[in-house]
Amino acid sequence: MATLASSSSIVFTANPSSSTSTSSSAARSLALPPRLTLSSLSSSTTLSSLFSNSPTSVAYSTSSRRVLTCIPAFSVVKASAAEKKKVLIVNTDSGGHAVIGFYFAKQLLGSGHEVTVLTVGEESSDKMKKPPFNRFSEIVSANGRTVWGDPADIGKVLEGATFDAVLDNNGKDLDAVRPVADWAKSSGVKQFLFISSAGIYKPTDEPPHVEGDVVKADAGHVGVEKYISEIFESWAVFRPQYMIGSGNNKDCEEWFFDRIVRGRPVPIPGSGMQLTNIAHVRDLSSMLTLAVENAAAANGNIFNCVSDRAVTLDGMARLCAQAAGLPVEIVHYDPKAVGIDAKKAFPFRNMHFYAEPRAAKEILGWKGTTNLPEDLKERCNEYVQIGRDKKEMKFEIDDKILASLKVPVAV
Amino acid sequence: MASMAAVQAKQPSFSVLPSSLSDFNGIRLTTSVQYKRKVLHPRGALHVSASAAKKILIMGGTRFIGIFLSRFLVKEGHQVTLFTRGKAPIAQQLPGESDTGFADFSSKILHLKGDRKDFEFVKSSLAAEGFDVVYDINGREAAEAEPILDALPNLEQYIYCSSAGVYLKSDYLPHFEIDAVDPKSRHKGKLETESLLEARGVNWTSLRPVYIYGPLNYNPVEEWFFHRLKAGRPIPIPNSGMQVTQLGHVKDLATAFVKVLGNEKASKEVFNISGEKYVTFDGLAKACAKAAGFPEPEIIHFNPKEFDFGKKKPFPFRDQHFFASIEKAKSVLGWKPEFALVEGLADSYNLDFGRGTYRKEADFSTDDIILGKSLVLA
Repeated sequence: MATLASSSSIVFTANPSSSTSTSSSAARSLALPPRLTLSSLSSSTTLSSLFSNSPTSVAYSTSSRRVLTCIPAFSVVKASAAEKKKVLIVNTDSGGHAVIGFYFAKQLLGSGHEVTVLTVGEESSDKMKKPPFNRFSEIVSANGRTVWGDPADIGKVLEGATFDAVLDNNGKDLDAVRPVADWAKSSGVKQFLFISSAGIYKPTDEPPHVEGDVVKADAGHVGVEKYISEIFESWAVFRPQYMIGSGNNKDCEEWFFDRIVRGRPVPIPGSGMQLTNIAHVRDLSSMLTLAVENAAAANGNIFNCVSDRAVTLDGMARLCAQAAGLPVEIVHYDPKAVGIDAKKAFPFRNMHFYAEPRAAKEILGWKGTTNLPEDLKERCNEYVQIGRDKKEMKFEIDDKILASLKVPVAV
Repeated sequence: MASMAAVQAKQPSFSVLPSSLSDFNGIRLTTSVQYKRKVLHPRGALHVSASAAKKILIMGGTRFIGIFLSRFLVKEGHQVTLFTRGKAPIAQQLPGESDTGFADFSSKILHLKGDRKDFEFVKSSLAAEGFDVVYDINGREAAEAEPILDALPNLEQYIYCSSAGVYLKSDYLPHFEIDAVDPKSRHKGKLETESLLEARGVNWTSLRPVYIYGPLNYNPVEEWFFHRLKAGRPIPIPNSGMQVTQLGHVKDLATAFVKVLGNEKASKEVFNISGEKYVTFDGLAKACAKAAGFPEPEIIHFNPKEFDFGKKKPFPFRDQHFFASIEKAKSVLGWKPEFALVEGLADSYNLDFGRGTYRKEADFSTDDIILGKSLVLA
């Protein structure tokens, strides 16, 4: 019999509380920062050596010549956007990253680039009935090309097509990515981009994870990052965390909405103070687009592909409740004491997992637009619109947790 | 009730000094006094364009931040006056400061003795002297800034030491300068001062530090940990120990203060100033141990609600996440912290606590309550 885990129960009404508002008093009205001067950009090799996986935490480069380094003037980014690229996106057929390729494709198409999406597997598979794949008509109607196949046979699948840039949004290790990378190299692809994962950072007492921090040497993604840096003249690596957005293949905010709309307690492991980073996928897409359009600046760099704010797990629950206009009851528990696998019980890591997008801001001039309070309202609207709030659901693991804590659940 | 306005008649030095390297607490600075010449700092990118030398007033300057800031400004060739009540010596040689460096500083630093709460005196004495720039390091209330503004209608810049404590508590962090502030916070005087500066139309700059640390810290931040580590005691940390906070070295803050001087990009801007990375409470305990050469400490987590500590604080940090983004200062000012956390704590330890100096005696009474020991009464 599991011992009573310590728990705290917070009843939180949906009144707008202390969560952020970006409004500020007139005294602090947004004086636009003065236009940044374009300083001499450090060469990409200098940057790549800084952002290599060295054991020391690396502060950003300081040129001995100029105070401001590596901040492109706005006009530099715009000029490059005029050049149209042929981009191939190799996309996974499932999981949290699937939606990245969808947004990226649409954004590139919107900017006038040519896009092909190669989705792993078969067009007729059941997996293609789920979002974002069931919305691929949006890519096609924007003049994008969608094909299916095995990345290991990519040469055959693409029959001699050529591309300027390739994004591998599929492989988690070198076995999966090597065929794509090798083919890209041999067919003259100039720029290779890879969706890695912020999960490869070693846990730290000093958050956030910043580009250059130590990673887990045995992580599959690390092998890929190393390989592409060796064989491509122009490469960049993106390390995402969690994301929300219409077309997502994997539940994120839905996990909270499922409980909140049904008036069920939200069981959160540990203290609820764990920091995580939940981005709207459009932020990831905009970062990737900047990298394609300003390949020279992106070259040789690792980018944390995340929003520019962290949120606590409790905070995420509260924000979802506010978005839904409903109260929330958060219940904390110790997974070990309850005897459950936290990974199955809860969709986020039970620890601080918090990276910041510093390289993207400094090197690409990227700006984050994720605004969880606002974005979650839109997500909640869709949640209700598709009828998920009315769907019959079982909460077996929740019930087990709550029973061990002796928390009553309104039927 | 006018206080004695004893402005010491030390001549401000605008003479050209020979360049000399002064190893000041680990940051090497070249001294050279030239009009309109860039001063180059060999270590890192401490670029400060010292245009004309300025007549600068620091409100405060003898306790912590100002000690370092005043030295940097004097080295830059400015004429620096400290407005203090004179309780502490105007110039005290710091551990690690060379004799020649200290002699140079103490021969140049000026003193305006007074109580800044005597607003009439502040106004008259400042008006009589005239200053180009005011660094308000110890101001807490808007009313304290008024007489300064009244006295100096041609003030080029009012540089204010505010606090990240003004931000409204949030689940969604880090705090950025655009974030909501809390008009009810303990630091609302700082907010009101910022608002006053804006309203008065003066060219102002406000820096918001988080937790400041470094040698001579009078706030028991690192000292709190060092006392326990030295005594071989466990470190009691409230709740999960996962709370994330942020420390900024005082010398990095002083550098930032110098960076905004005469800097048009800093005009009417607020900047968060702190360390590059944040740290958990548990992590901070370990970092202090590492910095000071102690073994990894035993950490005891406790629930503060289960104890009555009376008026004493069982732990020196706010029991919440509290950290701010410094990217605005980095990108707009080109400033960046020189000290990483363990390195900075080692600097503090080596120059202060490790030499046997500290501000507050160790008080383990709240620790003992937590650890369940009974207090021995005589």
